Amino acid sequence: MSASIFDLIKERIVLLDGGMGTELIRHGFPQGACPESWNVEKPETVKKIHTSYFEAGSDVVLTNSFGGNKIKLLSHNLADKCYELNRAAAIIANEAKPAGKFVAGSMGPTGKFLKPHGEFTPEEFEEAYAEQAKGLSDGGVDFLLIETQYDLQEALCAWRGAQQVTDLPIFVTMTFNRHPRGFFTLMGNSVEQCLKTFEQEGIPVVGTNCTLNSADMVDLVKIMREKTELPLIAQANAGKPSVSEEGEVSYAQEIDDYVSYIPQMVENGANIIGGCCGTNPDYIKRMADILFK
Amino acid sequence: MDKQQFFEQIKKSVIEGNKEEAVALAKKATEEKLDLNEVIEKGYVPAIQEVGDLWEKGEYFLPELITSAECMKAAMGILQPELAKANIPTKSCGKVVIGTVEGDIHDIGKNLVASMLGANGFEVVDLGADVKLDQFIKKAQEENADLICLSALLTTTMLGQKKLIEMLKEKNLYGQFKVMVGGAPVNRQWAENIGADGYADNAITAVEEAKKLMGITS
Repeated sequence: MSASIFDLIKERIVLLDGGMGTELIRHGFPQGACPESWNVEKPETVKKIHTSYFEAGSDVVLTNSFGGNKIKLLSHNLADKCYELNRAAAIIANEAKPAGKFVAGSMGPTGKFLKPHGEFTPEEFEEAYAEQAKGLSDGGVDFLLIETQYDLQEALCAWRGAQQVTDLPIFVTMTFNRHPRGFFTLMGNSVEQCLKTFEQEGIPVVGTNCTLNSADMVDLVKIMREKTELPLIAQANAGKPSVSEEGEVSYAQEIDDYVSYIPQMVENGANIIGGCCGTNPDYIKRMADILFK
Repeated sequence: MDKQQFFEQIKKSVIEGNKEEAVALAKKATEEKLDLNEVIEKGYVPAIQEVGDLWEKGEYFLPELITSAECMKAAMGILQPELAKANIPTKSCGKVVIGTVEGDIHDIGKNLVASMLGANGFEVVDLGADVKLDQFIKKAQEENADLICLSALLTTTMLGQKKLIEMLKEKNLYGQFKVMVGGAPVNRQWAENIGADGYADNAITAVEEAKKLMGITS
């Protein structure tokens, strides 16, 4: 198997996986624990989730390392396990990976801010991401996905940090809110500003995930496509979660409604499509049916 | 000095996030022995309200909110001790104990709500993130708080909001403190179901909701 992820992107729409957090919870993941700790404590469960996504039709699964940068792990007092937990995440996903499929190393935000709004320097962010990227790279991921970023500056720190330790392809997705004046990140970065910066940096594949449901994301993809020719990633949430008094979680966007926007997402210019919060292997299966049948 | 013009200068400093200027104007107000409560009410408070409006319109984002809230904090740091020295009571909208519930380390939203409440005249006791539920109650009693604000980002940890209200009921403290809940997965329906007094889906409406719960109209 020598084809790269870039070959596949040129060939056809690439299908990513769906939510990891919701699946972990379904398998008994306890409140407040560190999801990445299951890469060493319950690797079989994590592997089972990856397998279920590959079986549903995912071309790529994302490692269980969304909160695996050193700063985020520090909140769980696990900063010293950064390398180990990320390497384990990559190994587990690779064990589940059938021939011809891919594993992407997930790198989510730190949850903290750079100065002056927070206490961290760009160098500290870079280092936190570099160690994660090293673990994921040594564990054998095919590429890195810096995802769900709400601050363009932080995304660039992650990009620089990862580049210091690996030659793997690195993709970046930002998360945008819908405002009266258009789509902006939490920090106020516009779509245009993000895409322009990413192009200047030479990031090969860019996109957006989380926050928006598939209806809103279709509109965002259209705007992104007008502003860049780079391959675009789009991973929508299944709307907002709501919790019953008994603690049962449901998402606002039903599966039928969610997947009904997938053809439009392709038409508007998305090349790599997957799910995000609230989506599960059933969503991916339905998306595979729409995209490939 | 033209007072109206002076208030406009104050507003401009806060809206533009110019902390040095906001502080300098506060010092000037004390030096010139102006009615400091009037300075707060006609200069600083309308300024932070305007910042909230700009945020709601999508003109301002999180960095601008934080910067303007810091301007307010710094200016109040000058004005409030002066008022205290002169034995003039400062107007407080109420005392708030705030934190992200046990098991949840997410604090971006909570921090923003805490800053905006502080900037809008509430006394804020911020317990941080991953706060034990009994700690909220203990602190609220110690501080004689009016309001407990509970943040949760996860569908698992938002159950802590419900549990806290149950704990208040068990301790016969339900009704003694108003309880306000928020966080990405939280909505009005959830707040009503669990018996919370208030809910807000962002830091600006959190201020409005908290004022409403305190019986303050504006």
